[in-house]
Amino acid sequence: MGIVRKWNNILHRDIGYMIVALTLVYGISGIAVNHVQDWNPNFSKEQEFLAIQPIHGQTREEIIRESLSQLQIAEEPDNAFRPDSSTLELFFDGKTYTIDLPTGNVLVEKIQQRRVLYEMNQLHLNAPKEWWTYIADVYALSLIIVAITGLFVLKGKNGITGRGAWLTTIGILIPVCYWLYYLYF
Amino acid sequence: MFIKHLLSLLIILFIFTHNSFAAGKSYGKKITLKKTTKISHILAEPKKFDGKKVLVEGPIVDVCEHRGCWMKIGSDKEFESIKFKVDDGVIVIPMDAKGKSARAEGIVSVKTTSVSEQIEQGKKHAKETGEEFDASTITEPKTVIMLKGEGAVIK
Repeated sequence: MGIVRKWNNILHRDIGYMIVALTLVYGISGIAVNHVQDWNPNFSKEQEFLAIQPIHGQTREEIIRESLSQLQIAEEPDNAFRPDSSTLELFFDGKTYTIDLPTGNVLVEKIQQRRVLYEMNQLHLNAPKEWWTYIADVYALSLIIVAITGLFVLKGKNGITGRGAWLTTIGILIPVCYWLYYLYF
Repeated sequence: MFIKHLLSLLIILFIFTHNSFAAGKSYGKKITLKKTTKISHILAEPKKFDGKKVLVEGPIVDVCEHRGCWMKIGSDKEFESIKFKVDDGVIVIPMDAKGKSARAEGIVSVKTTSVSEQIEQGKKHAKETGEEFDASTITEPKTVIMLKGEGAVIK
């Protein structure tokens, strides 16, 4: 094995080990956020319907007190809001009660972070900004190095002059052909 | 031994990151204004504020569920709220921000959309989401008052 190929393979191997975790993070999160139109990859939402007696309070304070009492909630809400005269929304940590005052119909929505996936998505979408931007840049550069060194790991019929050439060409043609199809069809 | 140290490190990181979020979190640019403007004042006289930078505060009463690209902030007056719209991906407002309190800075935008523009937008939205759209429900121009969001602190 030549010295160049030896160092090529060492780089490929060691950088490969280093980026396993981040590749999994970006890969899993990539699939998750790719389907953002169909689901929320960061949060899950549970809905429950309750029925209480109609609320007759006149002032905002009376309406909130009466609603809390009927819902048997002792805790003070973080916030309350009335989008219109017949609706009251009570906000607790991760939980919203939307009360239709004339009927007493209540929609309870519970929002929860999707554990681990949320954190992966935050890193993938660079929510922390600052230092994470540079870490992500280094990761991207590492991926480029792993991709290029990967071309030259093997020689012979399974290397870049044989089987590797075909597979690499297919890998190039997939995005190019799709982009041309997207532009002209 | 190595695994033990790694687990300890991960636990410390987890505790640190979760505690640091508890005090309130900043999104986007730093807030520059000191004085807040009442949302009711903006909604009462939108032309006066059009194009001006304002700092508002209030409860977050709704959040974009798909991309976190807007939130609605409740006004100091009943039945009123204002949309705080951010550029996709630049600021992502988390869905669990709903119900928390926000101090948010942005530029007031007052835009009147004609009937034909509304129909065009409605058709585009229906195509994207698969929802039904009835163009006959659009009968008059609509004025939308919102904030082009630059930065916010949510807690």
